[in-house]
Amino acid sequence: MNRPAFSPEGLTLGVCLVALGVLWTLANMGRLELLPALRTWWPLSLVLWGVLELVDLLVRRSSRRS
Amino acid sequence: MSSQPFDPESPASAIPAAPPPPPALLAAPMGAPYVRLPKSPGLAAFLSLFPGLGQVYNGQIARAFVFFFAFVGSIYLTASGHEFPFAFCIPFVYLFNIIDAWKGATSLNARFLGGKGAMEEESGVESPVWGGTLVAIGLLVLLNNLGWLDLDRLARWWPSLLILVGAWFVYASVQKRKASGSADEPPSL
Repeated sequence: MNRPAFSPEGLTLGVCLVALGVLWTLANMGRLELLPALRTWWPLSLVLWGVLELVDLLVRRSSRRS
Repeated sequence: MSSQPFDPESPASAIPAAPPPPPALLAAPMGAPYVRLPKSPGLAAFLSLFPGLGQVYNGQIARAFVFFFAFVGSIYLTASGHEFPFAFCIPFVYLFNIIDAWKGATSLNARFLGGKGAMEEESGVESPVWGGTLVAIGLLVLLNNLGWLDLDRLARWWPSLLILVGAWFVYASVQKRKASGSADEPPSL
């Protein structure tokens, strides 16, 4: 059966929400500026999503072989 | 069948009893109970008039976030002076969001009925292109944001994307034709 190993979209969303929460907390503590940080680093979410899609593909292929 | 002799006066024997239907007819869908499908594709598409809401209805929360932010982000970037290519993204994302909600609901219904969902069939065509594209776009924008790359200077090269996509379609078409096999091939003379 060709079931996905995990959901890349769901995992990306979860990690992004955690990161947003951490950044927002740090911003509330006065450690960083939230909006400039988000404006600079948001493409990391795309990179993470793409990497997870590739990992998911590799895991599915290897599980099908074994 | 009864072994009684035929009596034309008897109301019971006025019409001969029909033979029992064959087993195949007993399993016909006419007698099957009505099955209520879990999702309505029409409702999912209708809800998607607000981008992402149809995916929420389908229980695909991550997709809902992706479509919502893709739509809002395209509008924001268009309004902030990047008309190209984000103005083209707005209708594309909007229509694709509606189609995706429809297909998602159809796929969930198919899975409910024990079949294979349309999206699972699609994902059967596995390719690293999607993941690689996401990584490439993310890295390009990140490098631009960090000042290590100037995307504005690369803007004149955007038609190369059309070339790449067109070449990919040609390649995929040729591969598909090869994979469809020799069954469709005309007999050689």
